[in-house]
Amino acid sequence: MDWPAVAAAATIGVAPTMPIAVTLANRVVACSAAARAVGVRRGLRRREAQARCPELHVVAADPARDARHFERVTAAVDELVPRAEVLRPGLSVLPVRGAARYFGSEQAAAEKLVDAVAAAGTECQVGIADQLPTAVFAARPGRIVEPGQDAVFLSGLSIRQLAAEPSLAPADRENLTDLLWRMGIRTVGQFAELPRGDVASRFGADAVTAHRIACGEPGRPPSGRDAEDELDAVMNCDPPIDRVDAAAFAGRSLASVLHRSLLAAGVGCTRLAIHAETTNGQELERVWRCAEPLTEDATADRVRWQLDGWLNRRHQQDRPCAPISVLRLRPVEVVSAEALQLPLWGGLGEEDRLRARRALVRVQGLLGPDAVKVPILSGGRSPIERITFIPLGDEPVPAANPDQPWPGQLPEPSPTVLLDDPVEVLDVDGNPVRVTARGLFTADPVRLEAPGCTGRLSWWAGPWPVDERWWDAAAEARSGRAARAQVLVGSGATARALLLCYRQRRWYLEGAYE
Amino acid sequence: MSGKASAKVGGGRRAVAAETGLPIDHDSLLPMPESLAELLPGSLPRGTVAVVSGARSLEVSLVAAVTAEGGHVAIVGRPDLGLLAAVEMGADLSRIAVVAHPGADPVEVAAVLMDGMDLVVLGLGGRSVPASRARALVARARQRGCTLLVADGDWQGASTRLEARVSGYEIAGGRDGVPTPGCGRISRVRLAMRARGRSVRPVRAVGG
Repeated sequence: MDWPAVAAAATIGVAPTMPIAVTLANRVVACSAAARAVGVRRGLRRREAQARCPELHVVAADPARDARHFERVTAAVDELVPRAEVLRPGLSVLPVRGAARYFGSEQAAAEKLVDAVAAAGTECQVGIADQLPTAVFAARPGRIVEPGQDAVFLSGLSIRQLAAEPSLAPADRENLTDLLWRMGIRTVGQFAELPRGDVASRFGADAVTAHRIACGEPGRPPSGRDAEDELDAVMNCDPPIDRVDAAAFAGRSLASVLHRSLLAAGVGCTRLAIHAETTNGQELERVWRCAEPLTEDATADRVRWQLDGWLNRRHQQDRPCAPISVLRLRPVEVVSAEALQLPLWGGLGEEDRLRARRALVRVQGLLGPDAVKVPILSGGRSPIERITFIPLGDEPVPAANPDQPWPGQLPEPSPTVLLDDPVEVLDVDGNPVRVTARGLFTADPVRLEAPGCTGRLSWWAGPWPVDERWWDAAAEARSGRAARAQVLVGSGATARALLLCYRQRRWYLEGAYE
Repeated sequence: MSGKASAKVGGGRRAVAAETGLPIDHDSLLPMPESLAELLPGSLPRGTVAVVSGARSLEVSLVAAVTAEGGHVAIVGRPDLGLLAAVEMGADLSRIAVVAHPGADPVEVAAVLMDGMDLVVLGLGGRSVPASRARALVARARQRGCTLLVADGDWQGASTRLEARVSGYEIAGGRDGVPTPGCGRISRVRLAMRARGRSVRPVRAVGG
């Protein structure tokens, strides 16, 4: 109940033990325990709350803030017991049976949960009961209700409690509890004693729900499993697929099934999982992520590419050991349909763009998904690193952020030819020139020996050392100390300007200016 | 950007006809880099095939000019083209697509791409295209209004041939304007360009 106050305290940077009130439309909707102790109550006007507690911190309500802060708690609970369901920020439920068995008892599981949430920086209370609403009521005093004792526990509670929890009661539940209170029914137990038929005929449908809660009757338990994947498209392949052309047909029909269901749901798919099972039970899955919602053709292409990839892996042992018998397309991430509605008249140049894209997609169909690439600007120091190539249709994510400063970047102009050939740089005695740890040449370079452009250097500049990614042992080829230099091979009209790179004790021809 | 048209080099009888021919309709011309547009007016109408040779800056600057004007460009079979240089010349990368390794038949890939692109740069890798095949593609290019820029190979019956050669480098930061080893950096590449073709006056130009 106090979660908005806790989240507000974390945001404004005061301890949750201080008096805090969260207000919405000038009324207090939540307050901390310290505020409650001096008489601040929910529903109080802000002015009056401040009068009762002059040092009160008043914060405006913000459901997004509550949810944001609660995510931390949910994550901590998930670490311990997976698949918690969040009723509202500040209140989550989970099936306790598995956890109790694992930790030894319900008491032990509750202690573990309290510890885990405390480690996440918040206090919590745990209630355990047979039914979900009862457990929510039990969490306030932090009780563990014995099996079968739900009704007994509830009977002592005030009737007003039935309306207190917004995630269990509709907004007009208070009218019901008010009415019952005025009729002299003061506890939940008294309400539960009324016959169900009388409650239904006098107070309506919501009263029946409240009555079921009061009696501790089973409602909808927390499910504790993944949501039903109703958008999945599944195909049982008979005969099983072992050739790419058969896979292409299967992909096409499966894509149309998937897109019918997506259309019916009014969504577009931006992440698609392609899942295949072989006849001897091997399972393969790959998620395709796209920048734009997939069209039916794009889906069919991706299914074909993926099956092509699986069936024709380079090494025999990596390939699936049996033909594919079940094919499933699962939309992992969907967006609402307006994201993929094409504008009626098209934006400026929109038709050109689509025309260009269609041509590129056709080439992609001819040569494979990785054949057509789109360049985007990336971060880095060498000219090669500063362009990232993304296969057409994938999300354009640069390998590194181009907006960072990247000190040591080569100045304009960049070489128009990018190469990566080992070359020899020699000094006046014909000995190889190296770059020292201090970033200097061991001797002045005089001669370059490379296939196709051997000659005297008429000018050189550098070396410009960089020391990149020395912390990353995995990226061995690109990490460590390197130095770049510009040289002019030959002189006069036949001169060629080249960009050289020294890395791993070798010189490489990195680019040519021409 | 200094340049001047100078002595008559190359070309032939046809070039004379172009000089006295129809005025050039600017909508039908491919956007050109400034250095080229001033020096070689009307050298690249849309829907033609041009062969480029020599320095790579020519291709890169054409790619930059076309994309900067909102055109779409595909680069086929040129894996070593420095696109960062194109960006520095003003290219819009989102309008560029690269087919670095077009497989056994790059011409076929280029033919497909002509449907949607304004400019296709095709690297032939030293191959030459037989005349019969070339004719079919020239017709397709004219019909689609897509300019095909053939590099690193020969194309029989190309309407324009562009050649660029590095004529010198400007080196910034030398002492007294004289390049000194160990000082400065390359600041500009000077090109000498030459165009030959049916619709072009034979000109030689110098640009940077």
